[in-house]
Amino acid sequence: MTRQVGDPVERWLDEAAQAMGGDAERRRDVLLELESTIHDRVDERVRRGEARDAAVDGVLGSLGDPEEIGSSVMPGRPLLDAKRTRSFILRTAILFAAHFLLVIGATVAGRELSLSVLRIRPIADPRSFLSLLAHALETLCFDAGLMLVIHAALPRFARFVRLPRPSLAVTIDPRRTLEGAFFLALVAVAVNPLRDRLLALYVPSADGVVRVPLAGPGLLDSLLFLNLWLGLAIARDLAYARFRERRLTLALDLASCAAGLFCLLRIVASERVLDLAGAQAALGPSADSLGALMNATFSLLALATTALLAARAARRAFRLVMMRGTRPA
Amino acid sequence: MSSLFEKIGAEVKRGLVQIAALSLLRRRLYGYQLVKILAAHGLETEEGTLYPLLRRLETQGLLTSEWDTNGARPRKYYVLSGMGLAALPRLQTAWHDVAGAVSSILDGDAPGEAPVAADLEDER
Repeated sequence: MTRQVGDPVERWLDEAAQAMGGDAERRRDVLLELESTIHDRVDERVRRGEARDAAVDGVLGSLGDPEEIGSSVMPGRPLLDAKRTRSFILRTAILFAAHFLLVIGATVAGRELSLSVLRIRPIADPRSFLSLLAHALETLCFDAGLMLVIHAALPRFARFVRLPRPSLAVTIDPRRTLEGAFFLALVAVAVNPLRDRLLALYVPSADGVVRVPLAGPGLLDSLLFLNLWLGLAIARDLAYARFRERRLTLALDLASCAAGLFCLLRIVASERVLDLAGAQAALGPSADSLGALMNATFSLLALATTALLAARAARRAFRLVMMRGTRPA
Repeated sequence: MSSLFEKIGAEVKRGLVQIAALSLLRRRLYGYQLVKILAAHGLETEEGTLYPLLRRLETQGLLTSEWDTNGARPRKYYVLSGMGLAALPRLQTAWHDVAGAVSSILDGDAPGEAPVAADLEDER
């Protein structure tokens, strides 16, 4: 029972494993049993005359959502499963190192550094060990919290709202590609002609309901790259549905990641993603604080997604390099 | 309404699959064999239902399992444990009693029907 790289059964089992609770040994036991069942079902279809690839797709399709199966067979998924613990620790350490270097920079400069919503404060008393320790712990807590959101909460949220799951692995579910392309096309349609209607505040007035646009300069600046991101992602999904995992699919995915990174970095760098100045009359004095809260939320989400997208782009690039000189599958 | 029907149907089926699986596991079977036999008897069962059930029955001590690695691929076989074998006749009797009771209620000839109607008359 050898597993091949890019094997859809392996990908299905990986997704199921990520949703499983329980200890590693029992998970391995269940996964082996599920794998055996999947191959039994595939063999049966092949004996009835189906091509193996079609049989695999059919069996995986009939089994349903791997995460649902995984969580029902082995309930009690931990907040951070064992498979992701190492990457969580490694990434937290890298983020902490970078963050603390900025803290040292702020301390040497003697002033607060401002990176969009992130404010890097200098250490209060750099000569005091306790002050240094307290600042390091505070930084570590922030970084670990951010990484926990990326590793644990975002995939759950994405699954809840049925968005394509931000995964660090090279996994494109063949059963979801056409569905994904359709979903992204819907987003693209909603983003452009409906943008002014969706991102607006509707305020009742003497002349009826007045629409106050909320899209700030940060969002408008990033629109070109957002559309490019969506367009390339649709092309990637369609290419995957037709050609599976080939250079073209990976290259399109890499290009869509790059466009996404440009889009997100513009949002992160912007002070005003949303603009509530026009809503001042309707919201009164709370407009400023609400605007700041919404902009901070946008920027933090964009920052977290940037990290995910950058990791994904790096994986795609690595995969493309590894595929050089090999014949297409 | 259809989703409610499906939900109730799934709950009813879960209980049936449990007793059917226990009865079939008097002989040694692996998961997919069990799925096929259940399906042949009209009890289509999904992996997401069967494997948690087998795991629970094993934890309760009614089943034992062992891996067979001699074939083309490793397979986990299940069979009734001594406790499961002892419990099966009682479960079968309980099932026949329940099935009989439910059938008689569904067919409208439950013995409790007349007294209940009489009680209602008395209350008036």
